[in-house]
Amino acid sequence: MSGEQNGLDERDEQLRTGGDVRLVVPAAAEYLRLVRLTAAGMASRLGFTFDEVEDLRIAVDELCFHLLGDVGDEDPSAEPRTMDLVYSAGADSITITGRTGLSGGIPESSELSEQILDALVDEHEVTGTNGTILFRLKKQRES
Amino acid sequence: MAFEATDRNELRAKLEEYARTGDKELRDEIVGSQVGLAEYLARRFKNRGEPIEDLIQVALLGLLKAVERFDPGRGLEFSTFATPTIVGELKRHFRDKGWAVRVPRRVQELHLRMGTVVNTLSQELGRSPTIPEIAQRAEVSVDEVLEAMEAGRAYRFSSIDAPAGDDEDRAQSPAAAQLGEADSGLEEVEQRMLLSPLIDSLPKREQMIIHLRFFRGMTQSEIAGRLGISQMHVSRLLARSLAQLRDRAGADAAPG
Repeated sequence: MSGEQNGLDERDEQLRTGGDVRLVVPAAAEYLRLVRLTAAGMASRLGFTFDEVEDLRIAVDELCFHLLGDVGDEDPSAEPRTMDLVYSAGADSITITGRTGLSGGIPESSELSEQILDALVDEHEVTGTNGTILFRLKKQRES
Repeated sequence: MAFEATDRNELRAKLEEYARTGDKELRDEIVGSQVGLAEYLARRFKNRGEPIEDLIQVALLGLLKAVERFDPGRGLEFSTFATPTIVGELKRHFRDKGWAVRVPRRVQELHLRMGTVVNTLSQELGRSPTIPEIAQRAEVSVDEVLEAMEAGRAYRFSSIDAPAGDDEDRAQSPAAAQLGEADSGLEEVEQRMLLSPLIDSLPKREQMIIHLRFFRGMTQSEIAGRLGISQMHVSRLLARSLAQLRDRAGADAAPG
């Protein structure tokens, strides 16, 4: 993983000034690990603390898992669906926006799930249009 | 799992009554009478890197789900109906943790070591450390720290000889030494399961952590200090609790 030092620094700089990271994964729970890792990677570059990185990881996992629902469970023959995420770094915050192409409207959110997200991130929302679900969450760095 | 005809009739009568009345006490009684089935099925999945007490708990969730969904009008034996439901729950448990059993040993070790590092740094700095700070202290790369954090989600590792990781709980004993405790733990698991759903179904300390984190807004470090355990341990317990709640919620919401 040790690339050229200069190149890494430049990328860090780019992140700090608002570079985006895009991730497209199959819409299945198995891939949430990559979703979490990417979030953690971005957050650590922005100087988030261990606590904050943990919060972000749990939040993005909670939100995405909820949106995936039980897909991939019963119907392996269905056409593969993907989840697209964009991780945007602000000066002292991360915003993760995403889209899943799941049909059947927005899965109903549980009270606990809402409570979890409220506690972990500063903003979160899910909206749906024409069979596409859009979501966004934002976490601010404390210090 | 052969039942005497009278037992079978009695069970059938209770299930019919439950389907009619939805009486929670009766439901718990039925679940209690069928714990043997859940335990039997859970044991078929042992030696796959998950502690038997966890498997039994998963199987009990499946059993509860089966009792709630059973339709006596369809003329099936309860065990015929419940077995695939319970096995499905167990399989799902393994599938959700699928990648976990392949965590490399060096990552496992770093994960365990990070617990101490995070604690020490938190005390020194008076705040939660950043990832680069942890990496520097542990003399590893940032990527390795991130990987090790992710490993915390897989709260169990495949090798029963690996350090158990639940340092505070298990007094450093290897996982292998804990497998024999299944039976003594069963009663407690059962009690817990029968009392009430969702959060109440978690162990007391995990309920407390969920409450402090999500309902009182304390940070993981604050909770660690309050409960006298490491931050990594709080992180692990949170991940495990959420996974369990999720399994449970999924069980309730999935179509019959």
